[in-house]
Amino acid sequence: MGILRGTYLSYIKAEKICFTYNPGKPFINCLDIELKTGQFCSIMGPNGSGKTTIGKLLVGILKPSSGNIFIDGNDISKMSLGHIGSKVGYLFQNPAFQIFAATVFEELSFIMTLKDYDKDYIESEVDRVLALLHMEDKKFSSTFSLSYGQKQRLALAGILLNKPHYLILDEPTTGLDILRKQVLAAVLKELMNMGAGITVFTHDYEFIKNFGGRILKMDRGVIIEDRIE
Amino acid sequence: MKTVLNDFDVRTKLAIAAALSTIAVFIQHVYVLCFILFLSVLLSFLFYGNFKKTLRATRRLWYIFFAIVVLQSIFIKSGSQLIAVGSFSIISAGGLLKGAEFLLRMSIIIFTATIVASSSYREVVQGIVQLKIPYEIAFMVSVAIRFLPILKEEFSDILTAIQLRGLDIKKIPFKKRLKVYSYIITPVIAGAVDKAQKLSIAMETRAFRAYPKRTSYLILKLAARDYIFLIFLFIFTVAVFISYYLFGFPGRIL
Repeated sequence: MGILRGTYLSYIKAEKICFTYNPGKPFINCLDIELKTGQFCSIMGPNGSGKTTIGKLLVGILKPSSGNIFIDGNDISKMSLGHIGSKVGYLFQNPAFQIFAATVFEELSFIMTLKDYDKDYIESEVDRVLALLHMEDKKFSSTFSLSYGQKQRLALAGILLNKPHYLILDEPTTGLDILRKQVLAAVLKELMNMGAGITVFTHDYEFIKNFGGRILKMDRGVIIEDRIE
Repeated sequence: MKTVLNDFDVRTKLAIAAALSTIAVFIQHVYVLCFILFLSVLLSFLFYGNFKKTLRATRRLWYIFFAIVVLQSIFIKSGSQLIAVGSFSIISAGGLLKGAEFLLRMSIIIFTATIVASSSYREVVQGIVQLKIPYEIAFMVSVAIRFLPILKEEFSDILTAIQLRGLDIKKIPFKKRLKVYSYIITPVIAGAVDKAQKLSIAMETRAFRAYPKRTSYLILKLAARDYIFLIFLFIFTVAVFISYYLFGFPGRIL
Protein backbone atom coordinates (compact mmCIF):
# COMPACT_ATOMS: atom_id res chain seq x y z
CA MET A 1 0.00 0.00 0.00
CA GLY A 2 2.52 2.52 -1.11
CA ILE A 3 0.28 5.20 -2.58
CA LEU A 4 0.63 8.69 -1.07
CA ARG A 5 -2.41 10.03 0.72
CA GLY A 6 -4.35 12.64 -1.22
CA THR A 7 -3.33 11.51 -4.70
CA TYR A 8 -6.39 10.11 -6.42
CA LEU A 9 -5.14 7.96 -9.27
CA SER A 10 -7.44 5.89 -11.40
CA TYR A 11 -6.93 2.26 -10.39
CA ILE A 12 -9.97 0.29 -11.51
CA LYS A 13 -11.74 1.34 -14.66
CA ALA A 14 -14.75 -0.32 -16.30
CA GLU A 15 -15.66 0.83 -19.80
CA LYS A 16 -19.14 0.15 -21.17
CA ILE A 17 -19.54 -3.18 -19.42
CA CYS A 18 -22.65 -5.26 -19.97
CA PHE A 19 -23.63 -8.38 -18.08
CA THR A 20 -26.59 -10.71 -18.04
CA TYR A 21 -27.64 -13.70 -15.94
CA ASN A 22 -30.43 -14.65 -18.35
CA PRO A 23 -29.84 -14.32 -22.11
CA GLY A 24 -32.04 -11.57 -23.55
CA LYS A 25 -32.41 -9.79 -20.20
CA PRO A 26 -29.40 -7.48 -19.65
CA PHE A 27 -28.75 -6.92 -15.94
CA ILE A 28 -25.88 -4.45 -16.25
CA ASN A 29 -26.17 -2.41 -19.42
CA CYS A 30 -23.24 -0.37 -20.73
CA LEU A 31 -21.89 0.75 -17.34
CA ASP A 32 -18.85 3.04 -16.94
CA ILE A 33 -17.18 3.27 -13.56
CA GLU A 34 -13.81 4.51 -12.35
CA LEU A 35 -12.40 3.85 -8.87
CA LYS A 36 -9.37 5.71 -7.55
CA THR A 37 -6.65 4.93 -5.05
CA GLY A 38 -6.68 6.90 -1.81
CA GLN A 39 -10.41 7.50 -2.10
CA PHE A 40 -13.28 5.97 -0.16
CA CYS A 41 -16.18 5.03 -2.38
CA SER A 42 -19.52 3.64 -1.29
CA ILE A 43 -21.79 1.91 -3.75
CA MET A 44 -25.29 1.84 -2.33
CA GLY A 45 -28.55 0.39 -3.45
CA PRO A 46 -31.37 -1.91 -2.44
CA ASN A 47 -31.18 -5.71 -2.63
CA GLY A 48 -30.97 -6.91 -6.21
CA SER A 49 -29.75 -3.55 -7.53
CA GLY A 50 -26.53 -5.11 -8.89
CA LYS A 51 -23.99 -4.15 -6.22
CA THR A 52 -22.50 -7.61 -5.72
CA THR A 53 -22.60 -8.29 -9.47
CA ILE A 54 -20.54 -5.16 -10.17
CA GLY A 55 -18.10 -6.06 -7.39
CA LYS A 56 -17.62 -9.53 -8.86
CA LEU A 57 -17.21 -8.09 -12.36
CA LEU A 58 -14.55 -5.64 -11.18
CA VAL A 59 -12.35 -8.42 -9.80
CA GLY A 60 -12.91 -10.88 -12.62
CA ILE A 61 -15.10 -13.39 -10.76
CA LEU A 62 -17.82 -12.73 -13.35
CA LYS A 63 -16.98 -12.01 -16.97
CA PRO A 64 -18.78 -9.14 -18.73
CA SER A 65 -20.61 -10.04 -21.95
CA SER A 66 -19.08 -6.91 -23.51
CA GLY A 67 -16.89 -3.99 -22.46
CA ASN A 68 -13.49 -3.84 -20.80
CA ILE A 69 -12.24 -3.65 -17.24
CA PHE A 70 -8.76 -2.41 -16.37
CA ILE A 71 -6.88 -2.72 -13.08
CA ASP A 72 -3.84 -0.48 -12.83
CA GLY A 73 -3.94 -0.15 -16.62
CA ASN A 74 -4.04 -3.91 -17.24
CA ASP A 75 -6.97 -5.54 -19.03
CA ILE A 76 -8.33 -8.06 -16.52
CA SER A 77 -9.45 -10.45 -19.27
CA LYS A 78 -5.74 -11.14 -19.70
CA MET A 79 -5.03 -11.47 -15.95
CA SER A 80 -5.38 -14.56 -13.78
CA LEU A 81 -7.44 -14.37 -10.57
CA GLY A 82 -4.19 -14.80 -8.63
CA HIS A 83 -2.70 -11.74 -10.35
CA ILE A 84 -5.86 -9.70 -9.78
CA GLY A 85 -5.86 -10.74 -6.10
CA SER A 86 -2.35 -9.38 -5.68
CA LYS A 87 -3.58 -5.95 -6.78
CA VAL A 88 -7.17 -5.78 -5.50
CA GLY A 89 -8.44 -7.37 -2.30
CA TYR A 90 -12.05 -8.59 -2.44
CA LEU A 91 -13.98 -9.39 0.72
CA PHE A 92 -16.95 -11.66 0.11
CA GLN A 93 -20.28 -10.98 1.78
CA ASN A 94 -19.93 -14.27 3.67
CA PRO A 95 -16.48 -14.39 5.35
CA ALA A 96 -16.82 -18.17 5.80
CA PHE A 97 -15.99 -18.53 2.07
CA GLN A 98 -12.59 -16.98 2.70
CA ILE A 99 -11.45 -19.01 5.67
CA PHE A 100 -9.70 -22.19 4.63
CA ALA A 101 -7.59 -23.44 7.52
CA ALA A 102 -8.24 -24.71 11.05
CA THR A 103 -6.18 -22.12 12.96
CA VAL A 104 -5.70 -18.37 12.52
CA PHE A 105 -1.95 -18.71 12.02
CA GLU A 106 -2.31 -21.45 9.40
CA GLU A 107 -5.03 -19.45 7.69
CA LEU A 108 -2.73 -16.48 7.26
CA SER A 109 0.42 -18.41 6.48
CA PHE A 110 -0.58 -21.26 4.16
CA ILE A 111 -0.52 -19.25 0.91
CA MET A 112 2.97 -17.97 1.71
CA THR A 113 4.03 -21.50 2.69
CA LEU A 114 2.78 -22.78 -0.66
CA LYS A 115 4.85 -20.07 -2.31
CA ASP A 116 7.94 -21.28 -0.36
CA TYR A 117 8.46 -18.00 1.51
CA ASP A 118 10.98 -17.86 4.33
CA LYS A 119 9.59 -18.89 7.77
CA ASP A 120 10.73 -15.70 9.52
CA TYR A 121 9.16 -13.56 6.81
CA ILE A 122 5.87 -15.50 7.10
CA GLU A 123 5.88 -15.05 10.89
CA SER A 124 6.54 -11.30 10.64
CA GLU A 125 3.85 -10.80 7.96
CA VAL A 126 1.26 -12.71 9.98
CA ASP A 127 2.12 -10.59 13.05
CA ARG A 128 1.89 -7.41 10.95
CA VAL A 129 -1.65 -8.04 9.67
CA LEU A 130 -2.87 -9.38 13.02
CA ALA A 131 -1.63 -6.19 14.70
CA LEU A 132 -3.30 -4.08 12.00
CA LEU A 133 -6.64 -5.77 12.68
CA HIS A 134 -6.20 -5.92 16.48
CA MET A 135 -6.25 -9.73 16.55
CA GLU A 136 -2.84 -10.51 18.03
CA ASP A 137 -4.41 -12.51 20.87
CA LYS A 138 -6.16 -14.83 18.36
CA LYS A 139 -2.98 -15.92 16.57
CA PHE A 140 -3.25 -19.59 17.58
CA SER A 141 -7.04 -19.76 18.00
CA SER A 142 -9.23 -22.15 16.05
CA THR A 143 -10.95 -20.41 13.14
CA PHE A 144 -14.17 -22.29 13.99
CA SER A 145 -14.36 -20.65 17.44
CA LEU A 146 -14.19 -17.07 16.10
CA SER A 147 -17.22 -14.79 16.16
CA TYR A 148 -18.71 -13.50 12.89
CA GLY A 149 -16.94 -10.15 13.25
CA GLN A 150 -13.61 -11.86 14.02
CA LYS A 151 -14.02 -14.14 11.00
CA GLN A 152 -14.60 -11.09 8.86
CA ARG A 153 -11.46 -9.38 10.17
CA LEU A 154 -9.52 -12.61 9.65
CA ALA A 155 -10.71 -12.76 6.04
CA LEU A 156 -9.64 -9.12 5.66
CA ALA A 157 -6.26 -9.97 7.22
CA GLY A 158 -5.79 -12.72 4.63
CA ILE A 159 -6.45 -10.20 1.86
CA LEU A 160 -4.09 -7.61 3.35
CA LEU A 161 -1.16 -10.05 3.27
CA ASN A 162 -1.00 -9.38 -0.47
CA LYS A 163 -0.55 -5.64 0.21
CA PRO A 164 -3.24 -4.73 -2.34
CA HIS A 165 -3.57 -1.16 -3.56
CA TYR A 166 -7.33 -1.40 -3.56
CA LEU A 167 -9.98 -3.09 -1.42
CA ILE A 168 -13.50 -4.01 -2.45
CA LEU A 169 -15.76 -5.04 0.43
CA ASP A 170 -19.14 -6.58 -0.25
CA GLU A 171 -21.70 -5.81 2.50
CA PRO A 172 -19.04 -5.78 5.25
CA THR A 173 -21.47 -4.71 7.98
CA THR A 174 -23.99 -7.54 7.55
CA GLY A 175 -24.44 -9.34 10.87
CA LEU A 176 -22.27 -6.89 12.85
CA ASP A 177 -23.50 -5.05 15.94
CA ILE A 178 -22.75 -1.33 16.53
CA LEU A 179 -19.54 -2.05 18.43
CA ARG A 180 -18.19 -4.39 15.72
CA LYS A 181 -19.09 -1.85 13.05
CA GLN A 182 -17.04 0.74 14.94
CA VAL A 183 -14.08 -1.67 15.08
CA LEU A 184 -14.40 -2.32 11.33
CA ALA A 185 -14.67 1.42 10.61
CA ALA A 186 -11.49 2.07 12.64
CA VAL A 187 -9.61 -0.64 10.71
CA LEU A 188 -10.76 0.75 7.34
CA LYS A 189 -9.70 4.27 8.37
CA GLU A 190 -6.26 2.94 9.25
CA LEU A 191 -6.02 1.34 5.83
CA MET A 192 -7.17 4.60 4.21
CA ASN A 193 -4.43 6.42 6.10
CA MET A 194 -1.94 3.99 4.59
CA GLY A 195 -3.11 5.08 1.14
CA ALA A 196 -5.36 2.21 0.07
CA GLY A 197 -8.43 2.90 -2.03
CA ILE A 198 -11.57 1.32 -0.68
CA THR A 199 -14.94 0.61 -2.22
CA VAL A 200 -17.73 -0.67 0.00
CA PHE A 201 -20.90 -2.18 -1.43
CA THR A 202 -23.58 -1.63 1.16
CA HIS A 203 -27.01 -0.29 2.00
CA ASP A 204 -25.84 0.75 5.46
CA TYR A 205 -25.72 4.55 5.21
CA GLU A 206 -25.03 4.95 8.95
CA PHE A 207 -21.77 3.03 8.46
CA ILE A 208 -20.47 4.94 5.44
CA LYS A 209 -21.25 8.30 7.08
CA ASN A 210 -18.03 7.62 9.04
CA PHE A 211 -15.97 8.05 5.89
CA GLY A 212 -17.55 10.58 3.57
CA GLY A 213 -15.90 10.34 0.16
CA ARG A 214 -17.70 9.33 -2.99
CA ILE A 215 -21.17 7.81 -2.94
CA LEU A 216 -22.67 6.02 -5.93
CA LYS A 217 -26.30 4.97 -5.82
CA MET A 218 -27.49 2.06 -7.93
CA ASP A 219 -30.84 0.77 -8.98
CA ARG A 220 -31.53 -2.16 -11.34
CA GLY A 221 -27.97 -2.27 -12.62
CA VAL A 222 -27.74 1.48 -13.35
CA ILE A 223 -25.88 4.23 -11.44
CA ILE A 224 -28.54 6.80 -10.64
CA GLU A 225 -26.47 9.15 -8.48
CA ASP A 226 -22.74 9.95 -8.14
CA ARG A 227 -21.80 12.51 -5.48
CA ILE A 228 -19.00 13.47 -3.09
CA GLU A 229 -19.88 13.95 0.60
CA MET B 1 -38.55 -28.29 -21.66
CA LYS B 2 -41.95 -29.78 -22.59
CA THR B 3 -41.62 -32.92 -24.74
CA VAL B 4 -43.95 -35.62 -26.06
CA LEU B 5 -43.39 -38.00 -23.13
CA ASN B 6 -42.95 -35.41 -20.41
CA ASP B 7 -46.30 -36.19 -18.74
CA PHE B 8 -45.43 -39.78 -17.85
CA ASP B 9 -45.47 -40.64 -14.15
CA VAL B 10 -42.13 -40.17 -12.40
CA ARG B 11 -42.24 -43.82 -11.24
CA THR B 12 -42.24 -44.91 -14.90
CA LYS B 13 -39.19 -42.72 -15.44
CA LEU B 14 -37.50 -44.17 -12.35
CA ALA B 15 -38.25 -47.68 -13.66
CA ILE B 16 -36.68 -46.83 -17.05
CA ALA B 17 -33.56 -45.43 -15.36
CA ALA B 18 -33.31 -48.48 -13.07
CA ALA B 19 -33.85 -51.01 -15.89
CA LEU B 20 -31.41 -49.48 -18.38
CA SER B 21 -28.76 -48.79 -15.74
CA THR B 22 -29.07 -52.37 -14.42
CA ILE B 23 -28.57 -53.76 -17.93
CA ALA B 24 -25.57 -51.44 -18.37
CA VAL B 25 -23.99 -52.62 -15.12
CA PHE B 26 -24.60 -56.37 -15.48
CA ILE B 27 -24.08 -56.91 -19.20
CA GLN B 28 -20.52 -56.18 -20.22
CA HIS B 29 -20.80 -56.35 -23.97
CA VAL B 30 -20.05 -53.42 -26.24
CA TYR B 31 -22.83 -54.21 -28.77
CA VAL B 32 -25.48 -54.47 -26.02
CA LEU B 33 -24.16 -51.32 -24.35
CA CYS B 34 -24.22 -49.44 -27.68
CA PHE B 35 -27.85 -50.48 -28.20
CA ILE B 36 -28.82 -49.50 -24.62
CA LEU B 37 -27.03 -46.17 -25.04
CA PHE B 38 -28.96 -45.55 -28.26
CA LEU B 39 -32.20 -46.29 -26.37
CA SER B 40 -31.17 -44.05 -23.45
CA VAL B 41 -30.35 -41.14 -25.76
CA LEU B 42 -33.62 -41.61 -27.65
CA LEU B 43 -35.67 -41.77 -24.46
CA SER B 44 -33.73 -38.85 -22.96
CA PHE B 45 -34.61 -36.81 -26.05
CA LEU B 46 -38.27 -37.85 -25.88
CA PHE B 47 -38.62 -37.23 -22.14
CA TYR B 48 -36.13 -34.43 -21.49
CA GLY B 49 -35.32 -33.01 -24.90
CA ASN B 50 -32.27 -30.93 -24.02
CA PHE B 51 -29.03 -32.56 -25.15
CA LYS B 52 -26.93 -29.42 -24.98
CA LYS B 53 -27.89 -28.80 -21.36
CA THR B 54 -27.01 -32.40 -20.42
CA LEU B 55 -23.64 -32.26 -22.12
CA ARG B 56 -22.87 -28.81 -20.71
CA ALA B 57 -23.82 -29.82 -17.15
CA THR B 58 -21.68 -32.95 -17.30
CA ARG B 59 -18.75 -31.60 -19.31
CA ARG B 60 -16.26 -31.95 -16.44
CA LEU B 61 -17.31 -35.55 -15.86
CA TRP B 62 -16.53 -36.43 -19.47
CA TYR B 63 -12.90 -35.35 -19.02
CA ILE B 64 -12.63 -37.73 -16.04
CA PHE B 65 -14.35 -40.53 -18.00
CA PHE B 66 -11.97 -40.10 -20.94
CA ALA B 67 -8.99 -40.12 -18.58
CA ILE B 68 -10.26 -43.40 -17.03
CA VAL B 69 -10.81 -44.87 -20.51
CA VAL B 70 -7.21 -44.06 -21.45
CA LEU B 71 -5.92 -45.55 -18.16
CA GLN B 72 -8.01 -48.69 -18.60
CA SER B 73 -6.78 -49.05 -22.18
CA ILE B 74 -3.20 -48.83 -20.94
CA PHE B 75 -3.41 -51.04 -17.85
CA ILE B 76 -5.67 -53.86 -19.06
CA LYS B 77 -3.66 -56.23 -21.26
CA SER B 78 -5.63 -58.78 -23.26
CA GLY B 79 -6.27 -59.56 -26.90
CA SER B 80 -4.01 -58.36 -29.68
CA GLN B 81 -1.56 -55.48 -29.25
CA LEU B 82 -2.71 -52.29 -30.99
CA ILE B 83 0.10 -49.95 -29.94
CA ALA B 84 3.38 -51.31 -28.62
CA VAL B 85 6.91 -50.06 -28.00
CA GLY B 86 9.14 -53.04 -28.78
CA SER B 87 7.69 -55.96 -26.83
CA PHE B 88 5.94 -53.65 -24.32
CA SER B 89 2.23 -53.34 -25.10
CA ILE B 90 0.81 -49.85 -24.52
CA ILE B 91 -2.73 -50.30 -25.79
CA SER B 92 -4.31 -53.70 -26.34
CA ALA B 93 -7.64 -54.59 -27.98
CA GLY B 94 -8.97 -55.93 -24.63
CA GLY B 95 -7.97 -52.76 -22.79
CA LEU B 96 -9.59 -50.58 -25.44
CA LEU B 97 -12.76 -52.69 -25.26
CA LYS B 98 -12.91 -52.37 -21.45
CA GLY B 99 -12.38 -48.60 -21.75
CA ALA B 100 -15.18 -48.36 -24.32
CA GLU B 101 -17.50 -50.44 -22.08
CA PHE B 102 -16.82 -48.10 -19.16
CA LEU B 103 -17.54 -45.00 -21.25
CA LEU B 104 -20.75 -46.49 -22.65
CA ARG B 105 -21.91 -47.53 -19.16
CA MET B 106 -21.33 -44.06 -17.72
CA SER B 107 -23.06 -42.41 -20.71
CA ILE B 108 -26.10 -44.67 -20.20
CA ILE B 109 -26.31 -43.77 -16.50
CA ILE B 110 -26.08 -40.04 -17.27
CA PHE B 111 -28.67 -40.09 -20.05
CA THR B 112 -31.12 -42.22 -18.05
CA ALA B 113 -30.68 -39.81 -15.13
CA THR B 114 -31.85 -36.97 -17.40
CA ILE B 115 -35.09 -38.92 -17.95
CA VAL B 116 -35.80 -38.69 -14.19
CA ALA B 117 -34.63 -35.05 -14.20
CA SER B 118 -37.51 -34.19 -16.56
CA SER B 119 -39.81 -34.34 -13.50
CA SER B 120 -39.68 -31.74 -10.73
CA TYR B 121 -37.79 -32.71 -7.60
CA ARG B 122 -41.06 -32.67 -5.62
CA GLU B 123 -42.50 -35.26 -8.01
CA VAL B 124 -39.35 -37.40 -7.65
CA VAL B 125 -39.68 -37.36 -3.85
CA GLN B 126 -43.39 -38.15 -4.01
CA GLY B 127 -42.66 -40.95 -6.48
CA ILE B 128 -40.13 -42.46 -4.05
CA VAL B 129 -42.63 -42.17 -1.17
CA GLN B 130 -45.37 -43.85 -3.21
CA LEU B 131 -42.93 -46.66 -4.02
CA LYS B 132 -43.18 -47.38 -0.26
CA ILE B 133 -39.67 -46.18 0.46
CA PRO B 134 -39.59 -44.54 3.94
CA TYR B 135 -40.23 -40.80 3.87
CA GLU B 136 -36.98 -40.13 5.77
CA ILE B 137 -34.99 -41.58 2.86
CA ALA B 138 -37.11 -39.70 0.32
CA PHE B 139 -36.54 -36.51 2.31
CA MET B 140 -32.77 -37.12 2.27
CA VAL B 141 -32.95 -37.47 -1.52
CA SER B 142 -34.91 -34.21 -1.75
CA VAL B 143 -32.37 -32.42 0.47
CA ALA B 144 -29.51 -33.73 -1.67
CA ILE B 145 -31.23 -32.57 -4.88
CA ARG B 146 -32.02 -29.20 -3.29
CA PHE B 147 -28.53 -28.55 -1.91
CA LEU B 148 -26.31 -29.90 -4.70
CA PRO B 149 -26.47 -26.70 -6.85
CA ILE B 150 -25.78 -24.59 -3.73
CA LEU B 151 -22.76 -26.73 -2.82
CA LYS B 152 -21.51 -26.45 -6.41
CA GLU B 153 -21.84 -22.65 -6.31
CA GLU B 154 -20.12 -22.47 -2.92
CA PHE B 155 -17.26 -24.64 -4.16
CA SER B 156 -16.83 -22.33 -7.14
CA ASP B 157 -16.89 -19.20 -4.90
CA ILE B 158 -14.35 -20.75 -2.52
CA LEU B 159 -12.06 -21.72 -5.39
CA THR B 160 -12.28 -18.13 -6.63
CA ALA B 161 -11.66 -16.76 -3.12
CA ILE B 162 -8.50 -18.80 -2.65
CA GLN B 163 -7.14 -17.62 -6.01
CA LEU B 164 -7.94 -14.01 -5.12
CA ARG B 165 -5.59 -14.47 -2.17
CA GLY B 166 -2.87 -14.18 -4.79
CA LEU B 167 -2.52 -17.86 -5.66
CA ASP B 168 -2.19 -18.82 -9.31
CA ILE B 169 -3.47 -22.40 -9.18
CA LYS B 170 -2.47 -23.16 -12.78
CA LYS B 171 1.14 -22.17 -12.12
CA ILE B 172 1.81 -24.25 -9.02
CA PRO B 173 3.10 -27.85 -9.10
CA PHE B 174 0.61 -30.74 -8.97
CA LYS B 175 1.54 -31.79 -5.40
CA LYS B 176 0.92 -28.28 -4.07
CA ARG B 177 -2.28 -28.04 -6.09
CA LEU B 178 -3.59 -31.09 -4.21
CA LYS B 179 -2.73 -29.27 -0.97
CA VAL B 180 -4.75 -26.25 -2.17
CA TYR B 181 -7.75 -28.50 -2.83
CA SER B 182 -7.48 -29.85 0.71
CA TYR B 183 -7.80 -26.25 1.95
CA ILE B 184 -10.83 -25.70 -0.28
CA ILE B 185 -12.60 -28.70 1.25
CA THR B 186 -12.46 -27.20 4.78
CA PRO B 187 -14.95 -24.34 4.17
CA VAL B 188 -17.11 -26.57 1.95
CA ILE B 189 -17.47 -29.18 4.73
CA ALA B 190 -17.85 -26.51 7.44
CA GLY B 191 -20.60 -24.88 5.34
CA ALA B 192 -22.35 -28.21 4.76
CA VAL B 193 -22.28 -29.09 8.48
CA ASP B 194 -23.57 -25.62 9.35
CA LYS B 195 -26.41 -25.96 6.83
CA ALA B 196 -27.27 -29.44 8.12
CA GLN B 197 -27.45 -28.12 11.69
CA LYS B 198 -29.69 -25.21 10.69
CA LEU B 199 -31.87 -27.50 8.58
CA SER B 200 -32.32 -29.99 11.42
CA ILE B 201 -33.36 -27.18 13.79
CA ALA B 202 -35.79 -25.82 11.19
CA MET B 203 -37.22 -29.34 10.77
CA GLU B 204 -37.68 -29.77 14.52
CA THR B 205 -39.43 -26.41 14.80
CA ARG B 206 -41.81 -27.50 12.03
CA ALA B 207 -42.57 -30.77 13.86
CA PHE B 208 -40.87 -33.15 11.44
CA ARG B 209 -41.92 -36.75 12.30
CA ALA B 210 -44.34 -35.54 14.97
CA TYR B 211 -46.95 -37.93 13.59
CA PRO B 212 -46.35 -41.47 12.27
CA LYS B 213 -48.21 -40.82 9.00
CA ARG B 214 -47.92 -37.90 6.62
CA THR B 215 -50.47 -36.65 4.19
CA SER B 216 -49.46 -35.10 0.88
CA TYR B 217 -51.07 -32.49 -1.32
CA LEU B 218 -49.44 -34.08 -4.37
CA ILE B 219 -50.66 -37.61 -5.12
CA LEU B 220 -49.27 -39.33 -8.23
CA LYS B 221 -51.48 -41.65 -10.27
CA LEU B 222 -50.25 -44.10 -12.85
CA ALA B 223 -52.15 -43.71 -16.13
CA ALA B 224 -52.88 -46.45 -18.69
CA ARG B 225 -49.90 -45.29 -20.79
CA ASP B 226 -47.63 -45.77 -17.76
CA TYR B 227 -48.83 -49.36 -17.25
CA ILE B 228 -48.35 -50.16 -20.96
CA PHE B 229 -44.87 -48.65 -20.95
CA LEU B 230 -43.90 -50.48 -17.74
CA ILE B 231 -45.07 -53.85 -19.17
CA PHE B 232 -42.99 -53.28 -22.33
CA LEU B 233 -40.03 -52.24 -20.23
CA PHE B 234 -40.29 -55.36 -18.06
CA ILE B 235 -40.53 -57.68 -21.10
CA PHE B 236 -37.62 -55.90 -22.80
CA THR B 237 -35.35 -56.08 -19.70
CA VAL B 238 -36.09 -59.75 -19.06
CA ALA B 239 -35.57 -60.54 -22.77
CA VAL B 240 -32.16 -58.83 -22.79
CA PHE B 241 -30.98 -60.77 -19.72
CA ILE B 242 -32.34 -64.11 -20.99
CA SER B 243 -30.81 -63.69 -24.45
CA TYR B 244 -27.42 -62.75 -22.96
CA TYR B 245 -27.16 -65.21 -20.07
CA LEU B 246 -29.18 -68.18 -21.39
CA PHE B 247 -28.58 -68.02 -25.13
CA GLY B 248 -25.22 -66.22 -25.10
CA PHE B 249 -26.42 -63.63 -27.60
CA PRO B 250 -24.59 -61.56 -28.71
CA GLY B 251 -21.44 -63.68 -28.62
CA ARG B 252 -18.04 -62.71 -27.26
CA ILE B 253 -16.05 -60.18 -29.28
CA LEU B 254 -12.56 -61.25 -28.18
